[in-house]
Amino acid sequence: MRLPLATVLCVAILSLAASGCGKRIDYDVGEVAPPEHLSGPDEHPHHQHDQHGAESAEQMTGARGHVHTPGVRNHGTMWFFNQPWAARFIWSKILRDSAILVGLAILLLLLSRHVHSRRWS
Amino acid sequence: MRAVWAFARMTVRSLLRRRTVWGILIVVLLGLIAIGHVPSFNVQTEGRFVLEFGLFGLEIGALLMALGLAVNLYPRDRESGTILPLVAVPISRGQYLMGRFLGSALVQIVALLVGCVGLMVILILNDLSIPSTLLPGTLLLLVEGLFLLAVVFFFSFWTSPPLNVPLTLALFVLAQMSVREFVGLFPQAPSLMRLLRLLLPHMDVFHVKDPIAHGESVPLLYFLLACLYGLAYTSFMLSVALAVFRERDL
Repeated sequence: MRLPLATVLCVAILSLAASGCGKRIDYDVGEVAPPEHLSGPDEHPHHQHDQHGAESAEQMTGARGHVHTPGVRNHGTMWFFNQPWAARFIWSKILRDSAILVGLAILLLLLSRHVHSRRWS
Repeated sequence: MRAVWAFARMTVRSLLRRRTVWGILIVVLLGLIAIGHVPSFNVQTEGRFVLEFGLFGLEIGALLMALGLAVNLYPRDRESGTILPLVAVPISRGQYLMGRFLGSALVQIVALLVGCVGLMVILILNDLSIPSTLLPGTLLLLVEGLFLLAVVFFFSFWTSPPLNVPLTLALFVLAQMSVREFVGLFPQAPSLMRLLRLLLPHMDVFHVKDPIAHGESVPLLYFLLACLYGLAYTSFMLSVALAVFRERDL
């Protein structure tokens, strides 16, 4: 009884993997993010610094360093805003996974109870 | 349900008698005190450092506490033979698992709250402000701790304690990885790795220490969603653990 179940599970996982079902349904922000999230308002316009100097959003603080406006997405804060709390477009995926997990938990509970009662009856 | 609560209370009492639990709690509190004593060298962002490392310390504390609480519960019951009279008459296997889990969860919750209060005290002693999102952030760590507890229970039903610890640690580390990082572990089979990653939990859902430390606001809806995700994964792991437990000969 155990061997066929394990085999069926392995075959199911391998066939799902072969179909490439994992693509774009997971939480990788870099993969599933809409273009406007990845590009953001900050394009890091070095050439504008030369034209507008200190009046731009960034301020030169030395020969090479610069400071961005706090709380704004830019090349240095991409990691910060690519976290789930800041990426609203994956919240529906979190909800979807929660619903699937609860469904699976209930299914597994009923199935194991059924098998257990048959085993001892 | 009354039997589950009675058994959970028994579990709490037996866990509080163990030195492991107190040892882990003391280590976590000492770690927080050490973080609070790192010299700031007049750096203005010292508060961020204390908060980030403090919340990281609480997360690691939750992992250690989950291991310390649950890794030996079932194996010890099995070795001492106390599980046989328990599941023979007064409680079912499901009630045994829920009683043990609830008892451990209560101790885990109290230990994490003590850690959170300890972090607040350290912030106050260092003249740093306590962010309003610290408590909801700790709530997410609590949910993460419950999930880890369920994982330890799951492994404890079919492995020995020395194997349970590295398996739980491996799951903890792998679950922190992004999809790209995980696929990079074995790039020859990206589809399989993607599917495996899909089955693993996403621990980054519980990570809000960066916005808390940097003063960014996190929507309340996100906290609720992350809690729901953690509790759903916990219930799933418990149902898998119960399915394994029901199949085992005692």
